[in-house]
Amino acid sequence: MSASATDTAGRSSGGIWIRPALIAAIVIAVFVWINAVELDSIEQRLLATDAIVSAVVRHIQLVVISTVTVVALAVPAGIALTRRNLLSRALGPPILAIANAGQAVPSLGILVLIAVLFRALGFWPTIFALVLYAFLPILRNTIVGIEQVDESVIESAVGMGMTKRGVLRKIELPLAVPVVLAGIRTALVINVGTATVATLVNSGGLGDIVYGGIVQSRSTVLWAGALLVAALALAIDFLGGLAEDKLRPKGI
Amino acid sequence: MADSMIKLEELTKVYEGTEEPAVADLSMDVPEGEIVVLVGPSGCGKTTTMKMINRVIEPTSGRIFLEGEDVTSTNPDLLRRRIGYVIQQIGLFPHMSIRDNVATVPRLLDWDEHKIDDRVDELLELVGMDPGRFRGRYPRELSGGQRQRIGVIRALAADPPVMLMDEPFGAIDPITRERLQNEFLRLQADIKKTIVFVTHDIDEAIKMGDRIAILQDQSIIAQFDTPEEILTNPASQFVSDFVGSGAALKRMNLTRVGEVTLKDWPTARSDEKRDTLRNRLDDAEQDQLLLLDDDGRPRRWLHAQDLRTDDELTSVGEEVHGVISANSTIADALDQMLRSHYGTAVVVDDDDRYTGAVDMAVVLAAAEAMGQSAGADAQHRLADADVETTDEEQVSG
Ligand SMILES: Nc1ncnc2c1ncn2[C@@H]1O[C@H](COP(=O)(O)OP(=O)(O)OP(=O)(O)O)[C@@H](O)[C@H]1O
Ligand SMILES: [Mg+2]
Repeated sequence: MSASATDTAGRSSGGIWIRPALIAAIVIAVFVWINAVELDSIEQRLLATDAIVSAVVRHIQLVVISTVTVVALAVPAGIALTRRNLLSRALGPPILAIANAGQAVPSLGILVLIAVLFRALGFWPTIFALVLYAFLPILRNTIVGIEQVDESVIESAVGMGMTKRGVLRKIELPLAVPVVLAGIRTALVINVGTATVATLVNSGGLGDIVYGGIVQSRSTVLWAGALLVAALALAIDFLGGLAEDKLRPKGI
Repeated sequence: MADSMIKLEELTKVYEGTEEPAVADLSMDVPEGEIVVLVGPSGCGKTTTMKMINRVIEPTSGRIFLEGEDVTSTNPDLLRRRIGYVIQQIGLFPHMSIRDNVATVPRLLDWDEHKIDDRVDELLELVGMDPGRFRGRYPRELSGGQRQRIGVIRALAADPPVMLMDEPFGAIDPITRERLQNEFLRLQADIKKTIVFVTHDIDEAIKMGDRIAILQDQSIIAQFDTPEEILTNPASQFVSDFVGSGAALKRMNLTRVGEVTLKDWPTARSDEKRDTLRNRLDDAEQDQLLLLDDDGRPRRWLHAQDLRTDDELTSVGEEVHGVISANSTIADALDQMLRSHYGTAVVVDDDDRYTGAVDMAVVLAAAEAMGQSAGADAQHRLADADVETTDEEQVSG
C-alpha cells in the first residue's frame, strides 16, 4: 500500500466501470471464499459479517475524519506559506522541514511515538497520527499547486485591479485545484494503509482482522483482511479520481 | 501639453537589494489621446517605468498624476481598474471562458451581467471575432493572434481612458504582428485612448507612436518627440545610433503621398484625335501618355508608336498595374515605382480617379523636405564607426 496508487490513476477515457467492477469482484470473492471454506471458531469470530462491517466502518471513519482534518489544516497552511510576506518567509522552511521529517518516519513509528507521547491508545491518537502523516503531501501539493500558476496570469490579474484576496480566490486557488486534489487523493490512500497499522494502538478498523490473522496464525483471515484493505484503498482512490475530474476547472 | 492625461514627476525606482536606480528621476507628460512609445535598449527601464504608472511596481520616490489627480498613494486596486493593462505574455486566465476573461474589470466595477454580455460581444466584434463562436471558448482553444486580441479587448472592457501595453505584439510571428498592429491603429483612430506602449523595436515605435520617448539606461530620456523629429533631428549620438542606419529609409514611412507635390503626367482620353495626342506627347518631357477612361480612371500607358496605329487606344500600349492613394507612404510609392516599367507610381483618389504621379524627382524632393539629408546621416555615422557593435546590442534589446 503506497502513494504510487495515485500515479497510475490518470484519467482512463473509456472503461470507467472497470475499477468498480474489480473492487466489487474482490469483495464478492472474499465473501464467497470465507463462506465456502470450513472456518474454525477463531476464524469465525474474526470473520463474522458484523465484525467485518464494523471494521470497515471504523476504518472509513479513521480515514475520512483524519483526511478532512488534515485538509482543513494543510491547505490553509500551504496557502499561508505561499503569501509573500515576512511570516511565510520565516515559518515556511521550518514547517516544511518538520512535515518532511514526519513523513520520513515509518508510519508505525509515528503511531508508537504518539501513543508514548500522549500515553493514550485508541481512536483519537490514531486520528492525530494520520493527520501528521498525511500533512506533508497535502501541504506540498498546495504550495506547488499555487506556485505553478503562471506568473503572467497573476500579473495580469493584479494589473487589472483584482485585490490580493480576489487573486487568491478567483485565480490561484482554482488553478491550483488539480494539484491540491491529487495531494488529497494521495493522502487518502496513504491513510487507508496507515489506518491498518493503527490497530496496534487499539483503534480498530480492518487492521484488527489482518493482525488477528497474523497473531492467531490464521492465513485465511489474514488474506481476507488484506484483500478488504486493498479493495477499500482502490475504492477510495477511485472516488478521489472521480472527484478530481469533477472539480477540475474547465479550460485546464 | 496642457491636457496631459498622465504626468510623471521625478519618478525613481531603486529595487530592493540594488544600489543603482532602475529608473532615475523620470519626468514625462503623456498627452490625452496619444500613443506614447517608450523605446530603448534592453534593461534601460521601460517596463519598470510603465509598471510604475499603475503601481504594479511602487515607485521609490516621485509622483504620478492621472487626469490631473495625484494617484501616487491612492488605493492601487481602484487605480488599476481605471487603466487598461496588456502584457507580452497576455496572461489570459486559462480556467475562464473568453467571456469571463473579458468581463474581469467590468465585474470588479460591479456592472450588471446584461451590460457585461453586450460589452463582451461588442468588443469581440470590434476585433473581428464572431461572439457566438468565441464567447464560450477557453484561452487554450484560441490561436496566438486571437489570444493577443482578447488580451487587448480585455484591457479595453471597462473603457478605461488610459492603456498600458508592454510589448503587446512581441511574442507573435511577424505577419500576425503586422496585422495586429494595423488593426490596433485602426481601433485607436476610433477610441482615442491615451496609451503608453513599450517596445524595444524602433520600427514598431515609429509605426505605432504619436510620440516616442527614446530611453537610455535608468530611463533617462534621450529624446521625447514625434517620430518625424526623431528621425530627422536626432537629439544626440545615442538617438541616431539607436534609430540605426535605416533612418533615411524609415523616414519614407512617415511621409504620406498626400503630403507631397505630385507630378502632372500628360493624359489622354480615348475620344481624342491622334494628332492632338502625338503633339501632346512631343511637347511633354515624358515618353508615355496616361490613358484615362470616361470616369478619369487610369487605364493604359501609351507610347509614340502606339499612337501611330489605328487600333482602339484601349487595346494598345500597356495596362496600368497597381496604383497608390494619398494615404500610401512614400515607401509604398517607391515600392510601386520599382515594380512599374516606367519608374512611376500613379496616384488615384477614393473613387480611383487619377490625381497625379510620383516619380524619382518627387521622392527626392520629399526626402529633401524631410530635412536632414541621407548624406549628413552617413557622415554622422562614419565619424563614430566604433559604435556599430553597441548599436546592434541596443537594437536587438
Ligand atoms: N525585480 C527586480 N529586482 C531587481 N532589479 C530589477 C528587477 N526588475 C528589473 N530590474 C532591473 O532594472 C533594470 C530595468 O529593468 P526593466 O525590466 O525595466 O527593463 P526593460 O527596459 O523593460 O528591458 P527589456 O527590454 O529587456 O524588457 C534592469 O537592469 C533590471 O535588471
Ligand atoms: Mg521590459
